[in-house]
Amino acid sequence: MNGLIRAELLKARASRTTWILAALAPPLCVAWAGLMVFLMGMDSGGVPPDARIENVYSMAQQAYVVTLLLGVLGMAGENRHQTITWQFLVTPRRSRVVTAKLAAYGIVGLLIATVSALVTLVAGLITLGLAGYPAWSPGVPAVLLGSALGVALYGLLGVGLGALIRNQVAAVAVALLWFMYADYLLVSFLPELGRWLPTGAARALSGMPLRTGELLPAWAGGMLFAGYVAVIVLAARALTLRRDIT
Amino acid sequence: MSAISVTRLGKSFGGVRAVDDLSFTVERETLTAFVGPNGAGKTTTLRMILGLVTPTEGSATIGGEHYRDLERPACAVGAVLESSAFHPALSARTHLEALRLAAGLEPGRVEQVLEQVGLIASADRRVRGFSLGMRQRLALASALLGDPEILVLDEPANGLDPAGMRWLRDFLRAYAQRGRTVLVSTHVLAEIRQIADHVIIVRAGRLAWQGPLSPETDLEELYMEVTS
Repeated sequence: MNGLIRAELLKARASRTTWILAALAPPLCVAWAGLMVFLMGMDSGGVPPDARIENVYSMAQQAYVVTLLLGVLGMAGENRHQTITWQFLVTPRRSRVVTAKLAAYGIVGLLIATVSALVTLVAGLITLGLAGYPAWSPGVPAVLLGSALGVALYGLLGVGLGALIRNQVAAVAVALLWFMYADYLLVSFLPELGRWLPTGAARALSGMPLRTGELLPAWAGGMLFAGYVAVIVLAARALTLRRDIT
Repeated sequence: MSAISVTRLGKSFGGVRAVDDLSFTVERETLTAFVGPNGAGKTTTLRMILGLVTPTEGSATIGGEHYRDLERPACAVGAVLESSAFHPALSARTHLEALRLAAGLEPGRVEQVLEQVGLIASADRRVRGFSLGMRQRLALASALLGDPEILVLDEPANGLDPAGMRWLRDFLRAYAQRGRTVLVSTHVLAEIRQIADHVIIVRAGRLAWQGPLSPETDLEELYMEVTS
């Protein structure tokens, strides 16, 4: 299993896509954090001051788009380029290939998440300070940690989606349309349902408050999100992983 | 124990019967040609042997074991499949190194197989720029990584120029002479006739003929007779 994970990390490192997408993550978080600081000048909508400060730092979670995409491309790309054939020839127990991908993209995701969280921290401290707000609240470390974990978990979700949906274009479309927009809109408009959806769970983990309603506690959000990943991976094992490679 | 045993193998894709009640064996230390018209089920059969396609009926085994149960498949069987694909952005060396890591093989193997197939000079180029012949060599290098006892090749001559064809022929002959087993599907009868000592002919998913090739056998005549 060790060798399989190292093989996946080697391929991820050798691919330019990985570096380009990874390089986009920190500036994306910084842009969102800056926007949140700017919006603090507007009506607070009844959100307490500490939560508004934490909201700025929770933008570290915006790197999720990058890890989600990398996970999808890493797994579904094997089908697109038909390199899955080599994978299954060397490792005929196919679920081990997926497990190695999960481990590798978990590691890649954690690295991207850590850098993004640190950059967001610095950006938050500077922009909040410059704008004349208090730059710190006791909840900030937990928010950064939760955001980073969430970003890494989205990488695993991507691998699961890439395994379940073998067509890369379809997998990317589902990942972006469902997990970026549809799920987010449901969470915003139907908070009662939304807190149980992946986006609601991930926002709970990262401490990103919801204007429209209560989210689960952070730990429960994290567990729920991990549960979604597990269900998708199990569905892939049951439905698509055993299919013929022709 | 035969190197490869195919027993009453059958495969349907939807309503299409690709392989039907097919049985044959490939004995150790033979170079066996696997021939038949287009659509006779050669590729499907090879993919079932390699665990990539699940048979509808019957079984295919390598030294008595299903491919999926092999402890170290890369060391047992090397496979070159038709139009082998590679990630275009990876270099030949990275592709091989990733496979080597996944298979748990010695670090020196990558360099050795690159040398075996004559790809050292292009090893660090992206596969995107490779010609069809170079891709076939890289596919062969991938198959050789585990120094396998058995080589399975599906139309390896596709896209090779005359020099490449000759190189492949010499390579396979030398491989078989070292006591290894080779099963190769092909349409180029005149080419395979020079090196094969056994032949399996399939037609419409069924076995049409199987046996050793003696120096007197006219393979083309035999092929026409049993497939028409």
